[in-house]
Amino acid sequence: MSATQAASAPVVEMKGITKTFGGVHALQGVDLDICPGEVHVILGENGAGKSTLMKILSGTYPPTAGKIVIDGYAHGSLRPTQAAHLGIAIIYQELSVISELSALENLFVGRIPLRKRFGMLVVDWPLMERESRTVLESLGLKIDVHTPVRHLSIAHRQMIEIAKALMRHARVVVMDEPTSSLTNVEVARLFSIVRQLRQEGRAVVFISHKLDEVRQIGDRFTVLKDGSTNGSGKVEAVTNDDLVRMMVGRSVKQYFLNEAAIDRSQPPVLTVNNVSSRDRRWVQDVSFDLFAGEILGFAGLVGSGRTELMNCLFGAMPRRSGKIELRGRDITPRGPVEALKNGMAYITESRLQTGSMPNFSIKDNIVISRSVKISPLRGLWGLIKRREENGIAEEQRRLVSIKCSSIEQNIIELSGGNQQKVLVGKWICIQPDVFIFDEPTRGIDVGAKAEIYRMMRELSNQGKAIIMVSSELPEILAICDRIAVFRAGRIVRILEGNSASEEQILELAISGGNTK
Amino acid sequence: MTRLAKLWDRFGTFCILIIIVILFSSLSPNYFTKPDNIIQIFVQSAITILTALGEFFAILIAGIDLSVGSVVALTGIITGKLMVSGMNPFLSVMLGGILVGAVLGGCNGLLVNYTGLHPFIITLGTNAIFRGLTMIISGANPVFGFPYSFILALTGNVWIVPAPVLLAVSVAVILWFITVHTRLGRNIYALGGNREAAYFSGIDIKLHTLVVFVISGVCSGLAGVLSAARLGAAEPGAGQNFETYAIASAIIGGTSFFGGRGRIPSVVVGGLIIGTISNGLNILQIPTFYQLVVMGGLIIAAVSLDRLIGRAR
Repeated sequence: MSATQAASAPVVEMKGITKTFGGVHALQGVDLDICPGEVHVILGENGAGKSTLMKILSGTYPPTAGKIVIDGYAHGSLRPTQAAHLGIAIIYQELSVISELSALENLFVGRIPLRKRFGMLVVDWPLMERESRTVLESLGLKIDVHTPVRHLSIAHRQMIEIAKALMRHARVVVMDEPTSSLTNVEVARLFSIVRQLRQEGRAVVFISHKLDEVRQIGDRFTVLKDGSTNGSGKVEAVTNDDLVRMMVGRSVKQYFLNEAAIDRSQPPVLTVNNVSSRDRRWVQDVSFDLFAGEILGFAGLVGSGRTELMNCLFGAMPRRSGKIELRGRDITPRGPVEALKNGMAYITESRLQTGSMPNFSIKDNIVISRSVKISPLRGLWGLIKRREENGIAEEQRRLVSIKCSSIEQNIIELSGGNQQKVLVGKWICIQPDVFIFDEPTRGIDVGAKAEIYRMMRELSNQGKAIIMVSSELPEILAICDRIAVFRAGRIVRILEGNSASEEQILELAISGGNTK
Repeated sequence: MTRLAKLWDRFGTFCILIIIVILFSSLSPNYFTKPDNIIQIFVQSAITILTALGEFFAILIAGIDLSVGSVVALTGIITGKLMVSGMNPFLSVMLGGILVGAVLGGCNGLLVNYTGLHPFIITLGTNAIFRGLTMIISGANPVFGFPYSFILALTGNVWIVPAPVLLAVSVAVILWFITVHTRLGRNIYALGGNREAAYFSGIDIKLHTLVVFVISGVCSGLAGVLSAARLGAAEPGAGQNFETYAIASAIIGGTSFFGGRGRIPSVVVGGLIIGTISNGLNILQIPTFYQLVVMGGLIIAAVSLDRLIGRAR
């Protein structure tokens, strides 16, 4: 293919793409045109639909409506092999190289060349070596092709994926957040390769969160918001502020703000001092105060280390340093047992993995932590008092309005929202001073969401101190009194809830407030 | 869960036992159903039931204990040596059976906790280690010449109940009480149902894992003492294949390999099933080698039947 610098006719046009998953719109009428010799950047918040759009392009999902036009021919949907055949290659965040195989074998996986030897068809190793050497050299990659991929760095594995795409004569190379785990030097190398691909007249689709990268590498952009296109054009023609504005601005329907002002003249309930995780990549020198009746939100990108911070606070992740005080008393927990005995509660991120006991009834799920808390021997000692526990579980069932036929019902028979309410009830009944809610409304319906918000606000009105981690900015803005913006293991800034805006939070979460 | 599945959950294992009893009584109407033989079945099952009770806890936390057989041998040898050297039989049983069993189980638990490896690997290793220690201590020779009081106490009758049966039933009742009525028991179920959720709920995973393996060790220790008394000698080769029977009893008793599900009474019935099969095959005078084949087949059939009906859930 000859080097055509100026954008010519698009090689791929996605028109009016709509995708619904069980009634939920992941994408709604999205248009995207990808031109040869151009880097097209796709921007959007977590859950805006970027990955879904790319999965439709690669043939992983069929679209519910819309069409994909390739070389002037319209397809209703693509099959994965068909997409590959038409020259579309996707390099996912989780790389799909096979780590036990060598670089060479990975390059040819699925289409190993054969030759005749001694009357049999055998693998044509010399041909494979010749071809791979040409491609890897063109990418400036100097590695021994016989090394098992597991010995190579992430950057090298990514290069191998790119080489694989080139060997299959890919015309469209999609990269899903390719720089998220690369060092600066590696990013520079990747960018020079992206420029080289553009030079060769290939189309590159680049998905990213990072605005400075968009500026460095992108020619055109498309912003997705809530599954729809919310702006597109030339990168030079817009400022970073414009881009952030296009990414945010979801409507917030209900407000659960505090009626009474928080009394910050009183000493805080929880004081966190210089907490770092043992592996400093996750959490670095985090300090904050939390007052009675306050809901403190933690906003930030997925992977910024918020859940890891919560695990550190609860003693469920090893710390390098840090001190945690409850009403001036040092309670720095060495494990969840100590955290819970000292008045902390933690509603974890994943109900299925770290929340509920699938073999237990609603009642046993509610009372299990309380029973450990009141046991003198770390849960080893004590008889189960059924009548008392039934009373407690029934009380929680009313309090958090769990919809069930009986508290003896198994928890997995409940809907996601009701399961979450059970887990909230479980922590309310140990009467803690501090609640940590990590993504409490993930995957539950709107009604249950509202009830969780109401519960959180009720707890705060009773003087409990609450931390809420959420990736949904509208939700954080709707109920948090203060918002700590988290980025790369640190608190960037703590904002007042009633004056913060989505733009401001996202700007801080993405760039740390350094770039303009 | 359908009503059938619910009933089966509770009484399924018992139904399998009934089926097997009917099968053998029709094959051998004269001998099998005699009262003497019925009692014999209970006595023979006592050791299997004891090891199965320990195994039940290991499987309940989604683990396994492959070392039960060699713990049986090692505790038997140590108890025997202590008695032969003149120690009071009761004290020997407490020390050599229960304490040594607890220590060996504790080793399993500590190794699991400190290495983070699956209990399968740890107990596969300790099974060999314990067997080796048994050979070293005994010089590969059996220990015999036990005081008469010891043999009488563990093979005689208490009123009309044979002592081995009484022992197994008492241990079963204590462990049943723990699983149903204590926080410890419920925490173990929680740990088996969802290890991470249990951790975040404040359950001390390592402490409870240790307790589970100590329980298993003590159960095997008691089985070792009982086995020595029954044979009148502590054999260094005792307890071969006991882990197979213990695991089979627990699984036939409806204990889930994925952890968190299972009931003590069903495990006891599971042990009885194994004992009944082995007794029935003996009565039918089937040679030992064939017995292994039949036993294996029946175990697979019993568990398949359980899963087939259980699937109705």
